[in-house]
Amino acid sequence: MSGLDRRTLLGAAGAIGAAAGFARTVNAQMADGQTAADVDAFMREMQSIVGEDWAFWNAEALRPYDKAYIPEPSDQLHPVGAVAPRTVEEVQAIVAAANRHRQPIWPISTGKNMGYGTAVPATPGQVVLDLKRMNRILEVDPDLGTALVEPGVTYQQLKDYLEENNIPLWIDVPTVGPLASPVGNTLDRGVGYTPYGEHFFFQCGMEVVLPDGQVMRTGMGSIKGSTAWQSFKWGYGPSVDGLFTQSNYGIVTKMGMWLMPEPPAYKPFMIRHPNMEDVPAIIEAMRPLRVSNLIANCNLMMSASYQLSMFQRRDSVVPNGAPLDDASVKRAAQANGLGMWNTYFALYGTDETVAAIEPIVRQVLTASGGEVLTEHEMGDNPWFHHHATLMKGGLNLDEIGMARWRGNGGGLAWFAPVAAAKGAEAERQTVLAREILDKHGFDYTAAYAIGWRDLHHIIALLFDRSDAEEERRADTCYREMVTRFGKQGWASYRTGVNTMDLVAQQYGAVNREFNAKIKQALDPNHIIAPGKSGIA
Amino acid sequence: MIFRFIALSAVGSLCLGGVALASAQEAEEATPRAPEQVYAETCGYCHGVNVGPIIRGRNLPPVITKSFVRMGPNSMPAFRQTEITDEELDALATWLEQSEADPEERGQ
Ligand SMILES: Cc1cc2nc3c(=O)[nH]c(=O)nc-3n(C[C@H](O)[C@H](O)[C@H](O)COP(=O)(O)OP(=O)(O)OC[C@H]3O[C@@H](n4cnc5c(N)ncnc54)[C@H](O)[C@@H]3O)c2cc1C
Ligand code: HEC
Repeated sequence: MSGLDRRTLLGAAGAIGAAAGFARTVNAQMADGQTAADVDAFMREMQSIVGEDWAFWNAEALRPYDKAYIPEPSDQLHPVGAVAPRTVEEVQAIVAAANRHRQPIWPISTGKNMGYGTAVPATPGQVVLDLKRMNRILEVDPDLGTALVEPGVTYQQLKDYLEENNIPLWIDVPTVGPLASPVGNTLDRGVGYTPYGEHFFFQCGMEVVLPDGQVMRTGMGSIKGSTAWQSFKWGYGPSVDGLFTQSNYGIVTKMGMWLMPEPPAYKPFMIRHPNMEDVPAIIEAMRPLRVSNLIANCNLMMSASYQLSMFQRRDSVVPNGAPLDDASVKRAAQANGLGMWNTYFALYGTDETVAAIEPIVRQVLTASGGEVLTEHEMGDNPWFHHHATLMKGGLNLDEIGMARWRGNGGGLAWFAPVAAAKGAEAERQTVLAREILDKHGFDYTAAYAIGWRDLHHIIALLFDRSDAEEERRADTCYREMVTRFGKQGWASYRTGVNTMDLVAQQYGAVNREFNAKIKQALDPNHIIAPGKSGIA
Repeated sequence: MIFRFIALSAVGSLCLGGVALASAQEAEEATPRAPEQVYAETCGYCHGVNVGPIIRGRNLPPVITKSFVRMGPNSMPAFRQTEITDEELDALATWLEQSEADPEERGQ
């Protein structure tokens, strides 16, 4: 076979063509009051701080900073530069320069916020502050089960470190672990799938460069000689760590976190339910098991279509252009050992504790109409394998396959409204989501993440980003979902850079004003990440 | 079965002492990683496991590889210079061009 097929050549041609177009866009979109010459002057100063190799502002070098999966038909959101410091002092110098030049900067840790904007800032004209080079694991305490890391440390790096040093602690990963970071994920209040899955719960202590350049440590971190920075969260007085999540009040340069001791026994399960209508029954059955912590990890309740989209293409399930009907999905699911809903959880502990809990959960879940399956029945089923890996903090990127479900793919926006963990609410959410998605010609590829007492309804809006009409439609569809869910009391826990204002409005004027006052007090020049979470 | 964690803590002061407590990584700029390592840590999570097309053993021209990595066309993520340096990417692209197909890998 010749080494290169037609698709590859077309792809590369597209890549090169798009890069040429990109140069125009970038130069066209400065921040308010900034000119190209201002950006140029700022970036030259950046070079003097971080060195010539680590400040980027020509179109070619900025290409990887501009990659996005979300629909953004107005095509306004592009960075105008990127700068990658290595030390806290360099971050401080950059912040000082940004204040002087009135140049907004957008901090990222590993910048893989895929389906929420990746590394792309929420308003035009910002310079990405890329902290990936600050990648030291500063401390791991194997006795306390704690770690202190810099923003650029990836989950992969942390896992390798623990394994190489034979430290029996686990990490907890989002499904894109190898590329992403504990700091970036936690600051956007992301989730994973072991009992330590609600990441902000397990964060402990931060170091933050404030917009005026001062370095502040939270919790016990400002006490000289304290050994409890990574073990006691609250310190004294107002607890402020949450202010630095999903916000633009500072640049986090170190973060502490708790790590779960590796349990001697780990047993993953899958519950297979046959019908779309089983939603409320599953949630009603899972809730008491979660609230009581008999099941301690964040469960994923995956629709068949979400699961199929990971490893298959849409046109292998229904013909191109045809709606994705339940009967076809069910057929494809069955052929792959899947039900219409597939709920994954695991038991952690010792052989004795697992053996004691297993009969209870089996009884409850069987009564809900599900088949309770384990490795014994599922063998090397790729979906079971994927979730069994995730629920022990293992690394893979299987889910990225979703982004090529339709056509050339590349379009993915997460819509993640929250509800209390009640079956009736989920049932209504599923009906509403399907109605809106159907109307705009998209598929219900969704899951519920069942938290301790809440549900994150994780709806992957998958579209072909190379098709401009489809991108516009996806944008309209996303906004309609946000608005109509909001009217029912279901707002997002997190959103993409294209819709941050829209979601912030739903949380109300008082809350917005409170956020704005804090912003004004801490960052009067509005140089850090304007637009993040709708805060100017 | 016993918790390795508990066993370790119980004798911690003997076998670990302050060593593990002080365990921390060096601050020096990382040396460039070998292409095999970059492939295993990044590309190999998708390519060869059904998420992306097989790219080994195809004599892919380095210019194509570099363009895909920096651009991230369609569903592929893009990788920044801070994630994979230009030097690492040059070596990776050349290595890929010359690499043999791995029979263990599965294409889409
Ligand atoms: C297929 C797929 C599956 C996914 N699965 C999950 C999942 O299971 N769970 C999940 O949570 N997400 C998931 N995601 C979304 C996303 O990819 C992850 O959340 C990822 O961890 C975020 O990227 P990152 O870790 O590189 O963070 P970054 O992109 O570095 O950071 C995210 C945001 O946090 C802020 N920030 C980052 N660093 C700093 C700092 N040092 N100071 C101040 N602010 C900062 C910025 O606003 C930044 O935009 C998934 C995405 C895809 C495509
Ligand atoms: C998260 C998954 C993922 C990762 C990680 C990834 N790729 Fe890809 N890659 C893809 C997908 C999906 C495609 C197909 C893109 C398309 O539809 O055009 C692709 C396409 C390619 C192609 C074009 C191949 C062809 O036949 O069209 C090359 C070359 C390539 N990738 C190189 C790399 C290299 C080198 C790395 C590691 C630095 C890498 N990729 C990392 C998912 C990934």
